[in-house]
Amino acid sequence: MRFLRRFLARLANFATRRQNDQRLREEMEEHLAQQTAENLRAGMLPAEARRQAVLKFGAVEAVREDYHAEQGLPFIEGMLQDLRYATRQLAKSPGFAAVAILTIALGIGATTAIFSIVNAVLLRSLPYPEPDRLVKIFFNNPGTESYAVRFSVPELDDLRNRAGVFELVSATARGSVDLTGGSRPQRLEFVVASPNYFSMLGATPQIGRLFGPQDFTPGYSPSVVISDALWHRNFAADPKVLGRSVHLDNDPYTIVGVLPPEFRHPGRASAQDVEVWLTSGFRATTDPPSTRSARSLPQAYGRLKPGVTLAQAQDRLTAMANELRHEYAADYPPEGNWTIEIQPLQEAMVGKIRPTLLVLQGAVILIVFIVSLNIANLLLARASCRQQEMAVRRALGASRGRIVRQMLTESLLLSFMGGAAGIALAVGALRFMMRFIPSTIPRGSEVTVDWAVLSFALLISLLTGLLFGLAPAIHSSKSDLSTAIREGARGSGYSTRSNRLRDALVVSELAIAVVLMVGAGLLLRTLRDLLKENPGFNPTQVVAACVSLPSPNDPKLDPYLTIARQSTFYRELRRRMNAIPGVELAGFVSDLPTTGQPFNFALGIEDRPSKSGEELRAEPIIISPDYFKVMQAPLVRGRYFAEDDQDGKLPVAIVDESTARRYWPDRDPLGRRLRIGQDPTSSWRTIVGIVKDISHDGLDVDGVPHVYISIYQKFDAVQGVVFRDFAIVLRTSLPASILEPQIRHQVQSIDPGLPVYNVTSMSELLDRSLAARRFSAQLVGGFAGLALLLASIGIYGLLAYMVGQRSHEIGLRMALGAGRADILKLILQKGIILAGSGVIAGVILSASTASMMASLLYGVRPRDPAVFLIVPLLLLAVAVLASYIPAWRATKVDPMAALRDA
Amino acid sequence: MDKKPDVLQGTLALMVLKTLDVLGPLHGYGIARRIEQISGDLLAVNQGTLYPVLLKLEHEGSITSEWGASENNRRARFYQLTRAGHKQLQAETRDWEQTAAIIARFFEVKAEDLS
Repeated sequence: MRFLRRFLARLANFATRRQNDQRLREEMEEHLAQQTAENLRAGMLPAEARRQAVLKFGAVEAVREDYHAEQGLPFIEGMLQDLRYATRQLAKSPGFAAVAILTIALGIGATTAIFSIVNAVLLRSLPYPEPDRLVKIFFNNPGTESYAVRFSVPELDDLRNRAGVFELVSATARGSVDLTGGSRPQRLEFVVASPNYFSMLGATPQIGRLFGPQDFTPGYSPSVVISDALWHRNFAADPKVLGRSVHLDNDPYTIVGVLPPEFRHPGRASAQDVEVWLTSGFRATTDPPSTRSARSLPQAYGRLKPGVTLAQAQDRLTAMANELRHEYAADYPPEGNWTIEIQPLQEAMVGKIRPTLLVLQGAVILIVFIVSLNIANLLLARASCRQQEMAVRRALGASRGRIVRQMLTESLLLSFMGGAAGIALAVGALRFMMRFIPSTIPRGSEVTVDWAVLSFALLISLLTGLLFGLAPAIHSSKSDLSTAIREGARGSGYSTRSNRLRDALVVSELAIAVVLMVGAGLLLRTLRDLLKENPGFNPTQVVAACVSLPSPNDPKLDPYLTIARQSTFYRELRRRMNAIPGVELAGFVSDLPTTGQPFNFALGIEDRPSKSGEELRAEPIIISPDYFKVMQAPLVRGRYFAEDDQDGKLPVAIVDESTARRYWPDRDPLGRRLRIGQDPTSSWRTIVGIVKDISHDGLDVDGVPHVYISIYQKFDAVQGVVFRDFAIVLRTSLPASILEPQIRHQVQSIDPGLPVYNVTSMSELLDRSLAARRFSAQLVGGFAGLALLLASIGIYGLLAYMVGQRSHEIGLRMALGAGRADILKLILQKGIILAGSGVIAGVILSASTASMMASLLYGVRPRDPAVFLIVPLLLLAVAVLASYIPAWRATKVDPMAALRDA
Repeated sequence: MDKKPDVLQGTLALMVLKTLDVLGPLHGYGIARRIEQISGDLLAVNQGTLYPVLLKLEHEGSITSEWGASENNRRARFYQLTRAGHKQLQAETRDWEQTAAIIARFFEVKAEDLS
């Protein structure tokens, strides 16, 4: 209380700049007069009496100083004074200030921009209430290495009723549907979930209501909840939308609610957000109903009971999975070793992108380091020039702490100015980067510059300021008084102690640059290899367009119920596509290469003794006979499908080379028979051809085995998956944009309810599948370039400064007979030694940290020899180049002038 | 800045408070004289240090000051104890007495008392 009162009184004095000198002077005068009078009374002579009084009073200046200190706030006063002085100092050398602030702004801007992505994706908690209790539930068969397998309704019931750790468990499935009824049919992403989905996530509607227990039916409920975006786009944000009917894959649904704009389905990120939510009891669609082994449900999310920790829940689930395996031994083959695992929802959503973002964040922090080292070096050079000033200050009584404080004020002023510019830069850079941020980065839409980002930027500014300010500050406060004054007077100060510090700074800068360049090299090499990789087909001059046949739940509404009706449609579509001018050939495929998720289905092979522990799996791809010809995928043996490989004829299949090798390692697969799915009544298909491998699941994915099936032959829904989406592929020299209206027109003149979407060239699709890799590789590459630039500026600056300081010595050497070549060698040598040490340190550092990047590489080892050879050579070359300029300038030193000036 | 130990500073403040408590309103010189008379040479060479302490006490609200006329009819600043200052004096006196008593007991202890 007393302290506060005193502080406020001082603050008031400080704020009003009241320096009440008058009062103290009068009091002192009075004091001395009284003391003098007293002394006179004691019998002293007047002069002596006055003298004794003054002596007794003590040092007037010290008293006055203490008095002033008590009057105001000396610490803050000192700081303001330092700040004023620092501003003057910077204003005196605007060039230096501009360069320093700009580099700091670059470093802090880059770091802040990346941090705002990291913050939104990794750090900020999910936008649901109590997000820590939300988990994603996985069912795994670790014994056969199949993970995230589907589950059955009884298993879902076990999670709800038997596990006892969940408050709510919701099963979900995701897909896309045709929305019809508007001006043009649309393809929308939808999620079908248990009725408790929204209460589990804690969502509230914007208008209307969300799903609840009243929506429970064994099959699909006729209610639908739509996203805010769809509401605005299709219904002009009309509040009367509630109760309106929409058609999804021909089935009628009634809109019951609209979600708020910020709500997002917590699933994987994709180019298109989920915009339609349906609900189902998941009990009517499985056939036979709800047996334990009818595993058709793809995803489950849960909310843990309050107070249940993740570890407790996991223990309980592991125990329960054990019990179930024993109780229902027939449904859980022992070799699968079926388990249930949970993962925090946040981790499940962002897991894959985490290493990429961490590498990016690491890269920018290294940039900030380099920037700091560079500025430290600049400041050291300035400090050497100001040694005399500091020496005078100390001679006049400034304490060492005071000088450090003053120097730090200068560097903090620099770093905060740079930081402010950096934040502005980050906001701009972020807007720019968001245009390139791949849609596969989860939560990308949540990236903003918020308080956390701003505090981060301030913290980084403070740290950089301290980092680059401390060395020069301590250095200048340490300088020995007498030598500094003498040396300064002589004007030749390349003293060894400060130089060793400067050398060390430049070497660390180079080492960090090497680390960044090696990282960028590895990522870029991965990208380049992937771009060069042969996808197994010729993507140039191919245009793809997606179409989806509706699959209504009510068979009476399904115009494509039988294979005969589908075949009629496909043949008509084929005729019309081939008739488009400029189209050489048209084909159809159920799933375009590099798009979508790989599906795994059980595979049956005739006459193959099933080895225990082995699971036969493959992904079926349904194609039209011309598909391989359009894609120019080479046939190895046998034949392609023909137009008359249709229903009623011999069921046929084509496999790719790796499938052939894997399942028929020592036999010819031609003529052998296989079967997809677990249903023992489905028909065998005879293999009629083998094609080269097509990287179907993405260029950077070691794909699953593929089996191709003709589009004209009956292929039943397997494990709840209906094959109704397909893509048209056209071999043509025309661009996609020109073909799009014709494709749409032709498709919709057969069936006006079919949406045509994602019309692009095949090369574009391949390109897009590498977007996340390209994003990170190019960013890190850019940072590495920046690091290289900064490091070469660093080495250039150091040598240029050294040449300046040593011009006297150089002049002397030349006067004594040294040739220009000797001088050139002298300086270059210094540069090469510095660069060499930096490169060696950097290579050691990279070799020991590169393995952290392993998960981001594909086909390139973390210690790739080419990268580890090229990067050091490149850096050395640049360093030599940077040292050459000052070295060349050194040879231009005029010995006469140098000696005279000294 | 502060070369004098804090104990001395604290003691000086306490002496000022006590002086004002006993003698009523007083100017700087008067306080200095009084302290000198009682404490001997604590302020013998540094009477001036009193003034920053007076200002600090005033900031803290323990004393107030106003201009008045001194014995020889000159302008002098008179200091006076406030109610808060009075309370502070009582509290600090108690503390001092306790501390002094404890220290005194320690000094009285002889080796044989501890065995």
